[in-house]
Amino acid sequence: MVTKTEETQLNRLENQVDNGGGGAWEYLCLVKKLKVRRPDKVLRHGLSILNDPKKRSALGPDVWTLYEQVSIAAMDCQCLDVAKDCIKVLQKQFPESKRVGRLEGILLEAKGLWAEAEKAYSSLLEDNPLDPVLHKRRVAIAKAQGNFPTAIEWLNKYLETFMADHDAWRELAEIYVSLQMYKQAAFCYEELILSQPTVPLYHLAYADVLYTLGGVENILLAKKYYASAIDLTGGKNTKALFGICLCSSAIAQLTKGRNKEDKESPELQSLAAAALEKDYKQRAPAKLLLLTSALKSLKTS
Amino acid sequence: MAEDLVLDTAIRDWVLIPLSVVMVLIGILRYFVSKLMRSSQVPDPKIVKEGQVIVRARNLRAGANFIAPKSFRARRVYFCNEENGLLHMPKGQAQNAQAQMFSDPNMAMDMMKKNLSMIIPQTLTFAWVNFFFSGFVAAKIPFPLTQRFRSMLQNGIDLSTVDVSYVSSRSWYFLNLFGLRGLFSLILGEENATDDTQRMMQMSGFGFDPSKSLGAEKDSLDIIQHEWALPKFEQRAETVLKDLVR
Repeated sequence: MVTKTEETQLNRLENQVDNGGGGAWEYLCLVKKLKVRRPDKVLRHGLSILNDPKKRSALGPDVWTLYEQVSIAAMDCQCLDVAKDCIKVLQKQFPESKRVGRLEGILLEAKGLWAEAEKAYSSLLEDNPLDPVLHKRRVAIAKAQGNFPTAIEWLNKYLETFMADHDAWRELAEIYVSLQMYKQAAFCYEELILSQPTVPLYHLAYADVLYTLGGVENILLAKKYYASAIDLTGGKNTKALFGICLCSSAIAQLTKGRNKEDKESPELQSLAAAALEKDYKQRAPAKLLLLTSALKSLKTS
Repeated sequence: MAEDLVLDTAIRDWVLIPLSVVMVLIGILRYFVSKLMRSSQVPDPKIVKEGQVIVRARNLRAGANFIAPKSFRARRVYFCNEENGLLHMPKGQAQNAQAQMFSDPNMAMDMMKKNLSMIIPQTLTFAWVNFFFSGFVAAKIPFPLTQRFRSMLQNGIDLSTVDVSYVSSRSWYFLNLFGLRGLFSLILGEENATDDTQRMMQMSGFGFDPSKSLGAEKDSLDIIQHEWALPKFEQRAETVLKDLVR
């Protein structure tokens, strides 16, 4: 997670570097530390250091990590020649290194040679079966080929061992959603909520999945999670507000005729609608009419 | 204090300085030797998995109130059931770490190597210092000290009449042994400094037992009460929205 202060620091440094103010190395270090993805900038500034023998030698042994960083950024930008050169330099320096082997695998992937990349990864995994990056790369290969069932299989295998890796859970959840396997996705989102209970996005996504699943029970649950998302964002999330409206009307429709269960928060729907109207009035007055008609149709149906 | 001892300058040239230089050189040599002998550890998949299970169970315990009762119960059974729960350890299987250490020759080997790189040079240098430099008064500290420092600064000299601010050669050796860490971190880089005291700490704290923490996690997961927090959130969301609309 990148905090606000870190982000402002990063942006300030980026501005400074872009305008020729120096500090390129500090910027690259910060990018690496925060694990943000700015391949174009990294490529440009990294190469400016690497192509200057004086600056390069000033880095000492840190130059090798810079080569690694630049090669990955180059692959992100599809500058495969640059990446290839960087990896070649690294290979010369560390002939037996697994880390360089990993980079070569990624380069194969970038070229689209899936079978070769797969082979490279499996041979690397034989030496070190617990390298999380290699497992993830295999998932990425399957995903890049559009082979989602295989990706799910790999991910499940990975999560069997590394079950505390929430990024992997998130990836799995998104794949399940894209395949419309909502029950499985719901489980993944529960896992995500458990690992980071205060991230509203997970609550929101979980609520979406529950609402899509349908059924009174699930929609009641979805409404609760939309409510928690509202609470966690301070009511700033438009999607959560819409979610409350949709869930309420769906519940009203489903429980019509029966005695109403929803006594806990009778005002929530009208409040959400009011908040939405206020928000639209402030930020998109042109679309206010659309909103009011939509809300009205929800209420009457 | 009657009169000061006069230290021969030859003592400075032939005891104090050589001793310090040798200590620094030995420290550097030891760093490179231990670097050569260090074997890359391949972590045991079982241990990695156990660590991850514990993290996940802890997450479940901490965030239990954020998921529906049904989901929570399903997870608890998954972790804690007596047949194949992740946290459940069959009694016989729960071997203690000590036995495991001896059954795994690699582990014992690693320990041996660590010990060798630490103990052998230390005993050798200590013997060397004792043999060549015993009994010298090697230096004088420019400020007076109390009697309690005598055992620290005048190791190897059994004279109660010598002022405490004089340092014996053997004490100088000890001071160097424990005090050169700052210098090593300057020479060899921040994290490469060989720190004996820290390493000793590591040795003593070795008996960590994963199965025990698994059991503890299982117990605490078994007893927690599930209080679903989400219904409360609806009311909280209402108040939030009320504030917003107003």
